[in-house]
Order: sequence, then C-alpha cells, then structure tokens
Amino acid sequence: MAGSSTSYYFVIIGTKDNPLYEAEFGSFKQGGDGIPKFREEQRHMNQFIAHSSLDCIEDQQWASKEMYLKTVDKFNNTWVSCFLTGGNIKFLLVHDTRSDEPIRQFFADVYDLYCKTLMNPFYEVNMAIRSQTFDQKIKAAAKKYL
Amino acid sequence: MSSTSRARLGEEVWKLRTDKINAELVTLTYGSVVAQLCKDLDGDYAEVNKQLDKMGYNIGLRLIEDFLAKSNMQQKCANFRDTADVISKVGFKMFLNITPTIVNWSSDNKQFSLLFDENPLADFVELPDDGKAQSDLWYSNMLCGVIRGALEMVQMSVDAHFVSDVLRGNDTTEMRINLIRYIEDEMPQDDE
Amino acid sequence: MNRDPSPFRTASTASTATSPTPKYANLTASTNLRYSLTRKSIYDRHLNRTKTSELSKSAFAFLFGEMVQYAQKKVYGVQDLEKKLNLHGYAVGQRFLELLLWRDGRTAKRETRILGILQFISHQLYRAIFQKQADTLEKVRENEDEYMISDNDPVVNTYISVPKEMSQLNCGAFIAGIIEAVLDGHCFPAKVTAHTAPNEMWPGRTVFLIKFEPEVLEREALRVGS
Repeated sequence: MAGSSTSYYFVIIGTKDNPLYEAEFGSFKQGGDGIPKFREEQRHMNQFIAHSSLDCIEDQQWASKEMYLKTVDKFNNTWVSCFLTGGNIKFLLVHDTRSDEPIRQFFADVYDLYCKTLMNPFYEVNMAIRSQTFDQKIKAAAKKYL
Repeated sequence: MSSTSRARLGEEVWKLRTDKINAELVTLTYGSVVAQLCKDLDGDYAEVNKQLDKMGYNIGLRLIEDFLAKSNMQQKCANFRDTADVISKVGFKMFLNITPTIVNWSSDNKQFSLLFDENPLADFVELPDDGKAQSDLWYSNMLCGVIRGALEMVQMSVDAHFVSDVLRGNDTTEMRINLIRYIEDEMPQDDE
Repeated sequence: MNRDPSPFRTASTASTATSPTPKYANLTASTNLRYSLTRKSIYDRHLNRTKTSELSKSAFAFLFGEMVQYAQKKVYGVQDLEKKLNLHGYAVGQRFLELLLWRDGRTAKRETRILGILQFISHQLYRAIFQKQADTLEKVRENEDEYMISDNDPVVNTYISVPKEMSQLNCGAFIAGIIEAVLDGHCFPAKVTAHTAPNEMWPGRTVFLIKFEPEVLEREALRVGS
C-alpha cells in the first residue's frame, strides 16, 4: 500500500438512523496533507459501510457499558469505530488504519461539541447539525488526533 | 441607605435568606419555554417578545412581595437612582445571583441602563440561524416584564426593553429602563 | 432488526449509472449568525462553567408557575396540561442526560439493565438536578413492567399555586417528563406519570410511576444471568 494516505469518513447518526452531520478528513500524520482522498465511489461506499454497521452496534451496545465501543465492524480493509452517547446518538468513524486511542480522544472532543449543540434550547435531538462553528471545531479535532 | 450597604444587603439575602436551586435547571426550563413559544407562535418573534414580556409582568406582580419580605427594606427609595441601585444590587442578586451594572443615566435621572455581563437565562443559547431571530428576538425579554410588573406594584410606571444582546451579535446585553411616572393613589374617575 | 435502506442513497447500489446527488448535501454547514466580539460562541464555553451555579428556588417557582399559566390557556383539561408539562420536562431531561455523562469523562458508563438506569435516575440524576437523591425506588409487585420512584418534597410543588380549576393538576408531570426523557434516550422506552401520594410527614409526596415498553422487558429477560 505504498503511498496511500489515511482518510476518514465521519458521521453522526441520530436515534432514527438518520445522519445528522458528515465530514471527511485526511490525515496530517506521516506527511499527509490533510486532504481526504476518497474517490466518488468510495464516498458512497463509506456511507453504506457506516449505515450497515448499525446492526452490529445494536448487538454490541447491550454487551458493554462503555460509550466508546472501539471497532464494531470491518468491511474488507475498512474499519468502523463507534462512540455511543447517553441519548443513543452514534458517532461513527470509517477508517483504514486502526488506532484506538487517538480515535477515542477524537470522539471525546466530538461528544463535548455535541453536548454544547444539544444544550441550546433551539436545537432538538435528531436535528441536522449545520453550524459552521461546529464543523470547524470537528475538523480541528480531527486534525489534532487523527 | 448607601450603595455599599445595599450591596451588603443583597449578599446577605442571597447567602442567608434564599433557598437555592441548580441554576442549570432554571436555564433549561426557561429555554424550553422560549423554544415552545417560538413554535406556538410560528416563528413570529415580535409576538414571542410580547408574550415573554407579558409572562414576566405577571411574575413581577407577585415577585415584589417575595422581594419585600426577604429584603426587609423598610424605607421607600428616595428617588429613581436609588430604585436602580436596589434593583441591581438587591433584586437581581437575590433571585439570579447577578448584579448588572447601572450605566447611561439620562440628564433628568429618569432613564438608565442595566448592563448584563452575566445572564443565567441565556447560558448555552444560540439563536436560530433563520435570518430573523437575531434581528427580531429578545431572548431574555421576560426580565423586562418582571421589572415592569414589580415596579408597578410599588407605584412606578416604567418601560423596560432591551437595546442590545450578545445573542444577537452585539458586544453587550443592555436593558433600558425608563420611568414614565410615579403612580399616585387612585383619584375618583369620571365615567367615560 | 430490519433496517430501512440507507437514507444516504435513493438509487440501488448495484447501479453503475451516474449516481444521484447524495442526500448528504443537506448537511452542508453554513451560517448567517453574527457572533459578538466579546462573547465566545457556545462552542468556546466550557461545559463545566455553571456546574455548581445556583439561583433562587423562588426564581424557578415563578418561572414554573408562569409556564403552567401559559400552557393552561392552550389545553382542554388537566391531562393535556400535564402532557405539556411533561414535554417541557422532557426537553430538560434530554439535556441533563448527555451533560451528566459528559461530566463523568472517561469513566462514564451506559446502563444496560433496568435496575442500573433506575438507580442512575434516582441517585446521580436526581442529585445533580435537585441536590438530593430520590427518596425511594421500588418495583411494583403486581406488574412486571412497572417501577416507582418517590420524592417527598418535589421542588415543582414548592410555592407553586395551582389555579383553582386545575386542582387535580400534578406539577410533578414536569419531573415525570425529565425521567421519561432519560429512559427513552438511554433505550429504555417507558411512560412516566406523576401521582400524589401524601403521607403523615410529607403532604406533597409524589410517586413517579414508570411503565416500561414490552421490548425493554424482553431484552432484559434475554440478559438475565449475563
């Protein structure tokens, strides 16, 4: 896999399996330039992979009291990691390199940002998150940890 | 009563004579009220402002008794400047544990502003990004009604309204309070 | 569980034709909001800043009373009014649930058993919101799907004067809403109702009756012994 760089697809999924927020990141590590390198087909594939993992998550969430479920599904060379909030909102990261701890830290930052979004009385659970500030901060967290 | 002793009274009432509650519970409950109003009134923020003011007014009519009982203030305020001081240092202190700054007195001493550098009602809040809320909604408008209602019960007719709010992108949150008149005892009315 | 097809795609994934515009275009971030120079955005504020902040109980009582008054104008009868109060409590409960778990940091846990979530509610949640634990947590013997949490002196009853026409109103419906939101959010769907149950010592004592949906009990039964 010479010359391949790590790219990530991130999605926040609501309680009705509805996507609330999506983003793609490229890694800055190991000389990466931070730009995600997904081809168009891969992009759609990522969404499909993320959505398909929801069944696995449903099984696993009752076997563990953790919020960070680490990798919950695998599809060819792609992993799906998951963080489950108290209100059953799922943060899913589709990635091709395993790195449990950096992903945990990334999810922790996301949870902080999600809680801040939710504390706003004008935001309701399951609404799409369109705030530009939120988007910027998610990307900053990705840059920091991934 | 001097300003310093009013501040001391406010502190004392807050510390010793006030039952307390988790601030976030109040913040979130107020948020739920405003959000529900915006839904009920279909995003007509002018109406929401009116409704918040009205609800505040109803609260103010009853809140004044609680205020007088707890603060045990024996003397009436000598003038409107004293009233302002009491509102800030005793009133806001004992209910919301904040002391907004008094600024911008008019030359006739009938108008002043309250500057809120803290506002527990607006914690965590971001107005809807719908192109209207930031220009039309005064999120904390209930406070204006409270002041209006409370002062009416002590013989002052005032107008209270926000002129700026950090939630709207302004640098400050400022409420302007304007004394319209002192309410004299009712004279017999003509039948008209 | 049969999932609905992915909401991302409307066309079949087997198709090699030009794909339709993905639905995720709806999620593009944008903003027209102005931010104050002096005030940071909600995302810059620390979530623990008001963790121990307090206001006066009467401020809450006045706000709550006016909330009841306003809701009363739009309803037909006590049950409807209690539903409205439940909705307000629900919004509050959804937020406290995430806030409390966030505050637990790395040690935060999700509950997976009925008793676990009920203890979370009667201990941690109640203490965080009302500065005291709930007074009792009990299982209803006659019904498999019912539990009760009691509060001898719910804060919503303090100083609140209920309008005469609504003397049956139980303001505890607000707290029932908080509890219901926490249960629903944590995947233990239930209906929660408030009932006045005074005793000699506590005239305002309220019992919150929690009735779980059947799927919760089915899942709990599968997990017995694990």
